[in-house]
Amino acid sequence: MVIGAVWLVNAYGLPQGARYAAVGPGLFVTISGAALLILGAILILQIWRGESFQPQDAEDALADAKMDKRAFLTALVAVAVPVATMGPLGMPFTATLSFVLVANAFGSRRWWMDLTCGAILACASWFLFSQLGLQLGRFFPPLGF
Amino acid sequence: MDTLGLLLQGFGVALQPVNLMWALVGSVLGTAIGILPGIGPALTIALLLPVTTALAPTSAFIMFAGILYGAMYGGSTTSILLNTPGEAGSMMTALEGNKMARAGRGAAALATAAIGSFVAGTFATLALTFAAPFVAELAFYFKPTDYFAITALAFCSVAVVMGASRTRGFISLFLGIAIGVIGIDAMTGQPRLTFGNMQLLRGIALTVVLVSLFAVGEILYVASRYRSVPGVMAPVKGKLWMTREDFARSWKPWLRGTAIGFPMGALPGSGSEIPTMLSYTLERKLSKHPEQFGKGAIEGVAGPEAANNAAAAGILVPLLTLGLPTSATAAVLLAAFQNYGLQPGPFLFTSNPALIWGLIASLYVGNVMLLVLNLPLVGIWVQLLRIPRPQLYAGILVFAMIGVWGLAGSWVDLAIMFVVGLAGYVMRVYDFPIAPVLIGLILGPMAENQLRTALAAGQGNPMVLVSTPLSAILLTIAVLLLALPILLKRLRAHA
Repeated sequence: MVIGAVWLVNAYGLPQGARYAAVGPGLFVTISGAALLILGAILILQIWRGESFQPQDAEDALADAKMDKRAFLTALVAVAVPVATMGPLGMPFTATLSFVLVANAFGSRRWWMDLTCGAILACASWFLFSQLGLQLGRFFPPLGF
Repeated sequence: MDTLGLLLQGFGVALQPVNLMWALVGSVLGTAIGILPGIGPALTIALLLPVTTALAPTSAFIMFAGILYGAMYGGSTTSILLNTPGEAGSMMTALEGNKMARAGRGAAALATAAIGSFVAGTFATLALTFAAPFVAELAFYFKPTDYFAITALAFCSVAVVMGASRTRGFISLFLGIAIGVIGIDAMTGQPRLTFGNMQLLRGIALTVVLVSLFAVGEILYVASRYRSVPGVMAPVKGKLWMTREDFARSWKPWLRGTAIGFPMGALPGSGSEIPTMLSYTLERKLSKHPEQFGKGAIEGVAGPEAANNAAAAGILVPLLTLGLPTSATAAVLLAAFQNYGLQPGPFLFTSNPALIWGLIASLYVGNVMLLVLNLPLVGIWVQLLRIPRPQLYAGILVFAMIGVWGLAGSWVDLAIMFVVGLAGYVMRVYDFPIAPVLIGLILGPMAENQLRTALAAGQGNPMVLVSTPLSAILLTIAVLLLALPILLKRLRAHA
């Protein structure tokens, strides 16, 4: 519903019609915003009437298990880390850090092994994908290479 | 030139050593990701998109086709031996295949799955060979209004069929459409929803959304509900080949599965779940041994596996002939075409026949490769399951990160990865289907473009949208898809 409202507010500043095409750049923004808003309201009504939600099945996960907040937050930090470190510290450092954090979230407590595995995978990927033409930035920017 | 001549030309392309190598790479990668949890063909192809800048389009698509088919083969292995279907299309295989494996008939289950996949893959590719040029020929006559009606029908069927509730299906779809409108409007050059951020002017790449929803969302979800006790693997026992009786009980289900899977794969929203379920139900009804179903009936493996592989070929018909993706994997393949500046559709058959026919020929080649790779080497493939899960999921995040960062080296993409990944987690917890987001994202701009072109041609008259018989029929079907279930529910309530 929040997304729907933001889209509708933005659509207000866009032309809904065009001189020849009849449909302007704002129409689809309006439609998607309004649809999300209406559907969100319908969903809230359905929840109020007792609609239940069953978490999806996934390999390696128990859908009806209680949420492990520590594991979830550790994995979430691993996903957030690249936003802050990818530019200033480079891809190999960031990928190693995220690797260790995700492994920890999944219950691994062998820090040194995870650090070594993560560093090897991150460095090898950096070299391989850079060779294939992918722009992954400098190896470790603080040292200038 | 006739179809057979073009196909022979295609074999000339597919059998070049370099393309054979990429077909092998794709088949190996596909089988591996089919076996491994947490990663599927759509995500793999999306992660490989940035790398393909160094590859010729023909080689890249031959590799992608290998991944698409290989994932179907690999998925059956874990379903049979571990009772953990790697993807939705393998659920029925797990039901009977794992029972067979536990009863000491694992080898026969694996063999009927692999040969069934081969038979279905080959027959479905044959159907694709002859159906695709025919549909492409028809598509030459399609007008923007027809294309708009096709996308509208795709929206309705995807949102209605996928997921547990229509409301959640449509929310997923409109989320995709909402993401798709971000960036510069292609027709007027006006920025939309960029919030003053220059990097959002180019829009949000499909790869970022797909990687975030599938990889990041899955990692967060599995981490929060991780089952640390791994499943028990059934040993591969029994003769490595099927008995005469196994063959007699399998060949008809293979053909019936193909006949169900191929056309259903071509329909938007049916994915691989519906054809495999239909095949399973049909086999149970037609079997001379219905009492064996649920206890390890070979027909229950043969039929659904064939349907699963045939559906994979089926998705290529609307994709190659109309540029219409009907599943998440097809949406990524369309993005790959667009990465090369190519637009799948009838014109691609005439402008780039080497690519299209090389790709179709490679499907035949890939099928043979996959049969050889899977049947005798199954013991090696299952070793992949020994990779410890913490390191496996950590590795998937590293590759997801590389895929997103490698697109443009932008922190904005990484921030989007975080937000959309978190949304992917929420969608799994509250059971929102994920594929409609991608279909909305990729088909939304297409629908908008066709709608505006059609209305411009009709001088703004909305009746132009039902001005051709095809558009009128398709839009009627779309409305019926929406209205019929509600009407039927009301009628039942009143009865």
